[in-house]
Amino acid sequence: MDISSLIDSLHPLEVKVLSTFVSNPSAVLQTEQLAQASGLEPSQLSMAVEWLLAKSLLAVDTEVVTPMVSLTKVGEQYVEKHSPIERVLAAAREAATTGKRLTIQDIQSREGLEPAEVSGAIGRLKKEGALLIIQGGCLESTGRTSPTAEAIRGLLLRVHEMPREMQTFSDAQRQVIQDHAVKRGNAKEPFRIDDRVARSLKLSADGTEAAQQLSKQGVLEEVSQLTPELLKDGSWRTKRFRKYTISLRAPRIAPGKKHPYREFLDTVKAKLVSMGFQEMRGPLVETEFWNMDALFMPQFHPARDIHDVYFVKDPKQTTSIAEPFLSRVAQAHQDGGATGSTGWNYPFDVARARRLVLRSQGTAVSAHTLAAQPAVPGKYFSIARCFRYDQVDATHATDFFQVEGIVLGEDINFRTLLGLLNLFAREVAQAKEVKFLPAYFPFTEPSVEMHVRHPKLGWMELGGAGLFRSEVTLPLGVTVPVIAWGLGLDRMAMVALGIHDIRELFTDNLDLIRSTKGAL
Amino acid sequence: MPTITIFKQDLEGLLAGPGEARQPMTLEQIEDSLMLVKGELKGQNPDTGELRIELQDSNRPDLWCCEGIARQIRVKRQGSLPKYGFLSTKPPSPKQLNVTPGLEKVRPFVAACTATGYRVTKDGLAQLIQTQEKLAEMFGRKRRTVSIGLYRLAAIEFPVTYDLVKSGEAAFTPLGMDTVMTLGEMLLVHPKGLEFGGILAGHDRLPFLRDAKGRALSFPPIINSREVGEVKVGDDALFVEVTGTDLSMVILTLNIFAANLADRGAVVEPIEVRYPYKTDLGETVMTPQDLGRSRTLPVQTIERALGQVLGVHEVAKALVAYGYEVATESEQLTVTLPLYRQDLMHAMDVVEDVAISRGYADFLPVMPSQFTVGGLSRIEEFSDRVRALMVGMGFQEIISNILGSPQDLRDAMRLEGTEWGQLVEVDNVMSLNFSALRQWMLPSLLRVEAASNRAFYPHRIFEAGEVARPDPAQALGSRTVMVLGGMIAHADAHFSEIHSCLDTLFYYVGQAYSLEPVQHPSFLAGRAGSILCEGKRVGVIGELHPEVLERWQISVPAVAFEIDLTQLAERP
Repeated sequence: MDISSLIDSLHPLEVKVLSTFVSNPSAVLQTEQLAQASGLEPSQLSMAVEWLLAKSLLAVDTEVVTPMVSLTKVGEQYVEKHSPIERVLAAAREAATTGKRLTIQDIQSREGLEPAEVSGAIGRLKKEGALLIIQGGCLESTGRTSPTAEAIRGLLLRVHEMPREMQTFSDAQRQVIQDHAVKRGNAKEPFRIDDRVARSLKLSADGTEAAQQLSKQGVLEEVSQLTPELLKDGSWRTKRFRKYTISLRAPRIAPGKKHPYREFLDTVKAKLVSMGFQEMRGPLVETEFWNMDALFMPQFHPARDIHDVYFVKDPKQTTSIAEPFLSRVAQAHQDGGATGSTGWNYPFDVARARRLVLRSQGTAVSAHTLAAQPAVPGKYFSIARCFRYDQVDATHATDFFQVEGIVLGEDINFRTLLGLLNLFAREVAQAKEVKFLPAYFPFTEPSVEMHVRHPKLGWMELGGAGLFRSEVTLPLGVTVPVIAWGLGLDRMAMVALGIHDIRELFTDNLDLIRSTKGAL
Repeated sequence: MPTITIFKQDLEGLLAGPGEARQPMTLEQIEDSLMLVKGELKGQNPDTGELRIELQDSNRPDLWCCEGIARQIRVKRQGSLPKYGFLSTKPPSPKQLNVTPGLEKVRPFVAACTATGYRVTKDGLAQLIQTQEKLAEMFGRKRRTVSIGLYRLAAIEFPVTYDLVKSGEAAFTPLGMDTVMTLGEMLLVHPKGLEFGGILAGHDRLPFLRDAKGRALSFPPIINSREVGEVKVGDDALFVEVTGTDLSMVILTLNIFAANLADRGAVVEPIEVRYPYKTDLGETVMTPQDLGRSRTLPVQTIERALGQVLGVHEVAKALVAYGYEVATESEQLTVTLPLYRQDLMHAMDVVEDVAISRGYADFLPVMPSQFTVGGLSRIEEFSDRVRALMVGMGFQEIISNILGSPQDLRDAMRLEGTEWGQLVEVDNVMSLNFSALRQWMLPSLLRVEAASNRAFYPHRIFEAGEVARPDPAQALGSRTVMVLGGMIAHADAHFSEIHSCLDTLFYYVGQAYSLEPVQHPSFLAGRAGSILCEGKRVGVIGELHPEVLERWQISVPAVAFEIDLTQLAERP
């Protein structure tokens, strides 16, 4: 690992320790000096020093081991309550003055001492001639002093002030301390003897380089967040920015976003505009006249049944239908009028034509456009909401979008109709293979159904089209041939959006809408 | 459009012709051939040979049967349609059917023929019955204009009378029953009487078909006699009649049956129908009869429509191979439809048949070459712009049904009896859930909010779309308006939050607006405003009323606005 990546990987504690050497890279510092200079807690310092030693950035210069004496918890208690040996001796002297007999059991119960403590103390006092055991197990003070008891008192007080180096004590004192220091198997002693390791540390060669680089970068303090203040005074230059674990999962957000189905339709819309189509619009509520009569669907046509179309409750009829269209269309139905047709041969019912329905086919919008002096040549499209009286299920929606339109022009004929459909197949479905089948629509002749080989879906029906019958165009005042076309895009949209139920196109599930990716 | 069931072996037999060995076809070959009849194979059972076929053309009832499909394919294979003998050979003393005066006001027309020498097979009988049902149902508008009866010829003495009798005057045992009933009783209790009796409503005398000995054949258009009017497998002499209200449709229907039976090998003998009143074809009408009116048109009409020069000969050949009779004279064609068709209304109908006969694949697609400029309507452009702004402000777009329920659109919004609660409602309601057009957008947004309490908050949603508002001043009784609705819902949703969005929107749309306090039942009082543009109301904004939220079972506060994009787009 080179030095700069080594530096990048340093923990802030390590950086602090290294930084204390920056002013004098060749310094040899004692642990205490390091603690002071770095301002680290002893535990933090010792962690950082161990890490740096492991990375060979620091090296030990010298190491001095000093035995130190300190008090244990027991020792601290003895400072106040006195040690067992002192208490046994005091009890024996008190008994001597009062003349009371004092047994070992008395001492144990009175002083609350353990039998082992009592017997240890008695043993030593007896040895030093300060105590006698007389008949009946009674203790008797001899009146002589006990060197041990006296020494312990002094040592307790002295070590209580602060831990002392062993070598500051006399030989005799050292003996007492040794005798009363915690050892393995004997934890109830007042003194503890520890080795204090005093290390002096210096930088290794790598450490020197790292310290110099740290110093050069001036990156001394770590911060977690870049703040306006840091930018304002430029102090970001002397900071180190904490590194993040960037592999963690990002928190979720909900972006503003188009509905995926609308996005799909927007793309279709843009394609149609790019192919030279002008958008047309129409009302949701239509007359039967524009929805069907103008399209030469006879008034007895099964698709006009109460089971196929929604009728409006109030008002039930329009107040007027524009002339001359009403008369001309009525005539075309009855005997063909001036259209060159025989017509349907039935009495046209104007009251029926005036009935209001919810638009059931986008072609109604085209019929309006034909009657409104469209441009020739002209191309028009609409993406119109339509309504069908249908049981709602996975493949039938009660209201849905129809993409359809017309193309007018002197050059329009069956072959240009096929050419237009080819263009749709390529542009809208990205399909290269196309199949044209004979079809039937009440308002076109000839009529075509277009099947395409979709790159993902295989063969599918993409749409229907045809040349508007003269019985449609002439009564509305159009004398050039007109292509009427419609595209069935819902299946393509559903596959693109990964759904299998047409109702999900209009789902109320916000989670689903948010998480659905776009169609393209 | 009818979907019919046929059997593969029956189709193959009809393609070969009576007495000829049938050639098995693959399914692909059958599907290919179905292009000639605008048919689509919808399903099949390889074990029984059953094929389910949907026929698209509602003007070609002759194709709604196995015989018709086979005939169209056979004609194409053979290049022309052989003449049906029963059209040219008039029997010296034809059987007769007499019509009783008064029927001109009830069910004026009848056509009939006999068919002998074809022993009815199981497949053949299934087709006869299916054709009878489909034609009466879809072409005959549920028997109103056309209905059909089939009988065992052996039991009938001619002349037959198409009679008109009082409901109690005639009685017989109808199909499906085992007791004698009067016509009136059949209307009251027989399932077919109940189903189709309405056709005869208002008439005190009813149509009745009987033979020379007074034996009942049927009660048209309701039900046949069980004795005479039940054809069975093995019968080899049939009587067919069609009654109805439209003479040419009645004759066309009989022609189809005659052709079908002839194609199966029967000898069809015409019957002379004698009317006591005038018809378009006179008082004595031979049926079946070729009604084919010929039509003369220049070949250029066809070539121009197809976009391809073919020449008179090629066009004539294509039409003959599709069943037409064609006479040519220089650049003119005089074309006549076969007896089983009457769908030639316009020259363009001939054009399509030329294209189908030659095959659509025979025509090379050509791009329309004329230049046009594409573009969006003003309102769509405006709406797209507004949608982009809403997306930019962090709103998720939704789409909803425009059809909803008065309960959601009005009642749950606390709008009963208010101007805001007026709806365009559906008359023929199928489901209350889809019985009114939405008059504003907020219920659509609340619908999503109500279903999405598990989606993490905040919720910012919008929809731009059409609504319908009742307006007596309009010819249609309503106006279609494009509106934008936006809503924010979360624990701390606040008026100023949605107000900021509205403010931003108006800034970028380049319109000045002001808010005026409004008492709107859907919003909390004192926290709702009308949005005004130069004094005109263009929308509403506010904190949704807790009772509205309760009715939608929404448990967080919601703030929303709605603006009329149609009005805004029309402003300069």
